[in-house]
Amino acid sequence: MAARRSGSRLEGEIERCRGENQWERIPELVKQLVAKPLQLDDLSELLLGEAKLQQYLKENPIKQGSSPRGQRPRLAEVRKHLTAALERGNLKPDYQQEATLLMGKLCYVEGDYREALNHYSRVNLDEMQLVGAPVYRLSMIAEAYATRGLCLEKLPAASPSLSSRPADRDQEILTCYEKSGDIALLYLQEVEKALSAGLQNRSPKPGPVSQDQELGYFLETGLQRAHVIHFKNGNLTRGVGRFREILRAVETRTTQNLRMTIARQLAEILLRGMCEQSYWSPLEDPPPQSPLDDPHCPTRSSRDYALSRRPRVYSGEKYDANRDAVLSRIPEHNADRVISLQSASVVYDLLTIALGRRGQYEMLSECLERAMKFAFEEFHLWYQLALSLMAAGKSARAVKVLKECIRLKPDDATIPLLAVKLCIGNLHWLEEGERFAKMVVDMEDKAPEFRAKGHLALGLVYSLKATDASLRGLQEEYQRKALGAFQRAQSLSPTDHLAAFYLALQLAVSRQIPEALGYVRQALQLQGDDVHSLHLLALLLSAQKHYHDALNIIEMALSEYPENFMLLFTKVKLETLCRGPEEALLTCKHMLQIWKSCYNLTNPSDSGRGSSLLDRAIADRRQLNTMTLPDFSDPETGTVSTHTVRDSRIRSVCSTGLRGSFLISDLFRPAGHAFCDHFPRRRPSTASNTLCMVCSVHATSIAASRVEQALSEVASSLQSSAPKQGPLHPWMTLAQIWLHAAEVYIGMLKPAEALACTLEAASLFPLSHNVLFMKGQVAELRGNTEEAKRWYEEALSISPTHVKSMQRLGLILHQLQRYSLAEKVLRDAVQVSSTAHSVWNSLGEVLQAQGNHAAATECFLTALELEASSPVLPFTVIPRTL
Amino acid sequence: MLAMDQGVVEEWLSEFKTLPETAISSYASSLKEKGSLVPALYKVIRENYSDLLEPVCHQLFEFYRSGEPRLQRFTLQFLPELVWSYLSVSAGRDPHCSGCIEALLLGIYNLEIVDKDGQSRVLSFTVPSLSKPSVYHEPSAIGSMALTEGALANHGLSRVVYSGPHLQRETFTAQNRFEVLTFLLLCYNAALSYMTSSSLQSLCRLSSRVSICGYPRQQVRRYKGINSRMMVTSEFLVQLITGIHFALCNGESELGSKALDDVLYRAQLELYPEALLVGNAIKSSLCGAALKSNKEGTRSIQVEITPTSSRISRNAVTSLSIRGHRWKRHDAVDLGSPDELMEISEVDEGICTQPSAQGGSPPTIVVSNATTAVSGKLMGKGLRRLGGSRSSKEKEKEKEGGADQPSRKQSGNRAMSENLELLSLKRLTLTSSQSVPKAGTLSLSRTASAVFSRSFEQVSNALAAAAGAQQQPVPSNPVASPTPNHHHFSRENRYSACSLQEEHLSPIQHHQQQQRSPSISLHLAPDV
Repeated sequence: MAARRSGSRLEGEIERCRGENQWERIPELVKQLVAKPLQLDDLSELLLGEAKLQQYLKENPIKQGSSPRGQRPRLAEVRKHLTAALERGNLKPDYQQEATLLMGKLCYVEGDYREALNHYSRVNLDEMQLVGAPVYRLSMIAEAYATRGLCLEKLPAASPSLSSRPADRDQEILTCYEKSGDIALLYLQEVEKALSAGLQNRSPKPGPVSQDQELGYFLETGLQRAHVIHFKNGNLTRGVGRFREILRAVETRTTQNLRMTIARQLAEILLRGMCEQSYWSPLEDPPPQSPLDDPHCPTRSSRDYALSRRPRVYSGEKYDANRDAVLSRIPEHNADRVISLQSASVVYDLLTIALGRRGQYEMLSECLERAMKFAFEEFHLWYQLALSLMAAGKSARAVKVLKECIRLKPDDATIPLLAVKLCIGNLHWLEEGERFAKMVVDMEDKAPEFRAKGHLALGLVYSLKATDASLRGLQEEYQRKALGAFQRAQSLSPTDHLAAFYLALQLAVSRQIPEALGYVRQALQLQGDDVHSLHLLALLLSAQKHYHDALNIIEMALSEYPENFMLLFTKVKLETLCRGPEEALLTCKHMLQIWKSCYNLTNPSDSGRGSSLLDRAIADRRQLNTMTLPDFSDPETGTVSTHTVRDSRIRSVCSTGLRGSFLISDLFRPAGHAFCDHFPRRRPSTASNTLCMVCSVHATSIAASRVEQALSEVASSLQSSAPKQGPLHPWMTLAQIWLHAAEVYIGMLKPAEALACTLEAASLFPLSHNVLFMKGQVAELRGNTEEAKRWYEEALSISPTHVKSMQRLGLILHQLQRYSLAEKVLRDAVQVSSTAHSVWNSLGEVLQAQGNHAAATECFLTALELEASSPVLPFTVIPRTL
Repeated sequence: MLAMDQGVVEEWLSEFKTLPETAISSYASSLKEKGSLVPALYKVIRENYSDLLEPVCHQLFEFYRSGEPRLQRFTLQFLPELVWSYLSVSAGRDPHCSGCIEALLLGIYNLEIVDKDGQSRVLSFTVPSLSKPSVYHEPSAIGSMALTEGALANHGLSRVVYSGPHLQRETFTAQNRFEVLTFLLLCYNAALSYMTSSSLQSLCRLSSRVSICGYPRQQVRRYKGINSRMMVTSEFLVQLITGIHFALCNGESELGSKALDDVLYRAQLELYPEALLVGNAIKSSLCGAALKSNKEGTRSIQVEITPTSSRISRNAVTSLSIRGHRWKRHDAVDLGSPDELMEISEVDEGICTQPSAQGGSPPTIVVSNATTAVSGKLMGKGLRRLGGSRSSKEKEKEKEGGADQPSRKQSGNRAMSENLELLSLKRLTLTSSQSVPKAGTLSLSRTASAVFSRSFEQVSNALAAAAGAQQQPVPSNPVASPTPNHHHFSRENRYSACSLQEEHLSPIQHHQQQQRSPSISLHLAPDV
């Protein structure tokens, strides 16, 4: 084994071992060396001393922040070796220097800083050859600088070897550390190079080598102390500059951990200590002074770059963090897991802060999802994921994750509340919602405001269930429950306007108008400019037939919420009633203008990933357009492309004269309706609060739900930075505006214009039952009963519970004298919506025609009673969300 | 308001009016020296009915319009106070509403939403991509990434708009109020590091008050004043939190953490996920050291020297090793470089040498009752990695591991000390989801032989081939191991990525290796 090797070969081996920190092998090699006739005694002393010192340090690593201890027997041995090597003085100059440096290091380890400095001053560190030096020597020099810096820091200011002024001294310390850091990086790169070379021609086993590449205390200090001092002195500029220098060094395997740490720290600094204006790009020169009091104002481009910088730091991080994920659940690895979890969650937290303030929740949720490998039983990560999913609009998944959060932290009321919010908002998962809400209510020891919120949530769930219920008894049961819950919420938190408001709404839905008025007033006292309260107040007044008061309220509300389409729709209705259709048409025109100004701002960026919003919206619209039912046929729209249809419509609308010039053509100048990111936060997914504002219906047919699904996909892909008002998809809003205009025209007995408006809406949503219903109305107006019947039937085939269509269909059947069928349809309609007075009325007529006078009287009476309390639009128009 | 303060403000008002264009920048730098001016202005803003309010607002707007950054920042520092003043007035539905503050806020907003050419300003940033080189990294150095659809979709930098374009606003309405205020706070946050601590304090107070007014917590904070609830939006809260975060890290830790708590409280009640998300992140990232070190109120951020070496012990299963694992099993194209695997260097093998003695709760899956082929890899890498070194510790480990093994050898597959077995079983629990199919076992053990033949260099090629064949104990290098008959056996039906990875390095080199590193350990490859 111990084969004789030639001297140079042995030296090479020794050098390699030194470079690769294989100190254990040195003594053995030295033995071989000594056996040679060369004059190497001193060198072997040096080597032995070094090896022992390093071995000692390896076994007793110096902790950061603690001073090295005093003398130890093992160190004395080292000292003996080194002194022996130095004293005889017949070492080669290189080795002489090395010995001195080692001596200095030894002195530091022993705690004798002054002596260490003396040793260092004997060697001119600055003049030592770096290029072409053996690898181990680089490390030695780097350590020497670091040690020197440490000594300087430890010694009191008035040290003979230093200039007296503290500023210079600090500067010297900094220089030491910076040099040490630079040389350390060089060393690591050289090691890497040697290693890769070794891979090719010498060492087939990189394992042991790379495993030993741990930075010692001195190198770590050298690499990191400089910026620590910078930040301590409040010099962000130079600290950040230093960070960047380190990060820009060519990456090596060993530095990856260091880079990760540095990148994280840089990110922290950037987030905590800097802002866009004080940022400068790494490619520019840093500002001359500290940014804190510096007038440097970055140019536009640099600011853009600045912002881009931050996430970049993170994404690098992200990757590294992932790599170290300790998946192991073995108890032995718990400690490891905690560490990697901590560092990972720090990274993800920083990422959240950076992306959150920029509103990039979608991206964030994707990143956090990748963090889930750390997340077993870690509440924080689960919760953050849930929140990010929620913020990104991915409701269904968010609910699932929230469930896990509830399991991990069952006593936090916020989590089930968030779940309820999602369930009753977009998802319409009322059963789940009820479960979550009950969970909150059952948490007895919570603060009253949270309990009140729980009751409110429960009430909303019941209220929505009541709307959905098709059996009268069930409906009343839910309404009763909802009222109870709202009352409970209101008593628990009397200053919450929402509780009072929903109580009022619930009372209004069950047609207890005076009580509802009382509560809505209370809500308005608590929160004067709440749009929904104002809207409800107006509807309540209209139910009492105080149309002018209602209109005043609406106008007042509109002065605060000029772009709220729901208020505007109500206004159209009210104006038709008390100021005539001309006024209402003006409002429709106004709405179109608002729609344009709100949604026509182009969004120049690709938001999120890849395709732009605009493209997406257009694509989705095409999808909608091409999605036709087999029996749906409209020769006009079927053959002509939608755009030409629109143009012709506009022309016809203009020519027929929409009372003054209805200059809409410029509304649609760009081929795509560009709109900005004003999208509904409360994305409506059920027909009840989207497509059919006029009637509360939940779509049950497949086609309708497909439309819904497509729409909600569009909506979910949008950012959530939307105004709270206008919970409608822009295209739906537009369609609604057209339909309202059509309705006004029908009221004016102008079928041609009404049809034009309807076709506008149809070009957006050809399958909307509202559009079909309106077509039926137009046909009816033209006296074309058969056609009308067909339209109504189509509307019902899409949305079988569309009450208005049912009512009209029933009437037509009545006209056609098909009484029993008419009665069946109308009875179904009453079943769906028991408060629609017109349906009761029609039913009465049909029954009368059948000769069933007693029942007919009942119906008429009911209709009369209901009419006395019916608002212009159903109360359920008002969204019920948490 | 004291007469002195009034005098200061009046002087300030008149001074700027007479200023020539050219003197503006020197004036801007001299503003700092007027120590009593800023507090006096705060007083003016707080007292809503002061006669000075209108000229002050006007002058602040003039400052902002001048375009001189220092003057703009001078105005911006009052923004939180102005916002609070505006909100409190509008919440009180006071008829004497302070129109000039509204005008000032709207004025700043309308100036900021357009760029120099009058175009709508759109704030965007670039999302960096790891696949593109940057000043900080080269994509190749990070290791190869799988060429998945997702990776391709993310290829390239994408610009993301986070604010804008905005509409010009003439008046505040309930609808646009928070849109405007949010944008104003965004501008304020962009200049955060130039703000004085009084401005940061004012921001924290604003956040607290907006969040808790009208809620039961108001009593806790003992804030008297407005007690009706104010509406907020989620985006507004997020901007507030951003400012608070800066304040927290820059000397206002007490006020800041209170404000953060209040905002989070409100976000919980309003169920705003965005604000909760960012607030929670800040809270959890700040807990601990960062706050403590800032107690002395300096505006500096502390950084500690952190040990950089990875502290993950080698036999912890990391996502990385799992990933490697999967490659093999599916015989996928080998994309990974060996580098990726090598860098899990380890410091403490204390963990693996004293396993499970106390933590000896039975592992969840007990698959390997000697009949099944499945058994954990026994610290294969750990033992093999020793190279030439023979530290006493390693020897101990060997003894410990190998003490009773000769007898086990006869009993066939069960050649492991109990401790080690436990260990391996536990590791198994991790990977058992993809348990080895029978067919795969065979091929795996063949690869195993390749690994062995290379890593035990004293074994001749012929022997290695034999070792590959079946269950044959391979004697280790007698020099290297303490006693020749102490053998290690590891049943390598299941490989960690590490061992498999090595195989890819270069099978040719193992001749040279023979000369050099005397290696120690010995592996046995039993087949089914």
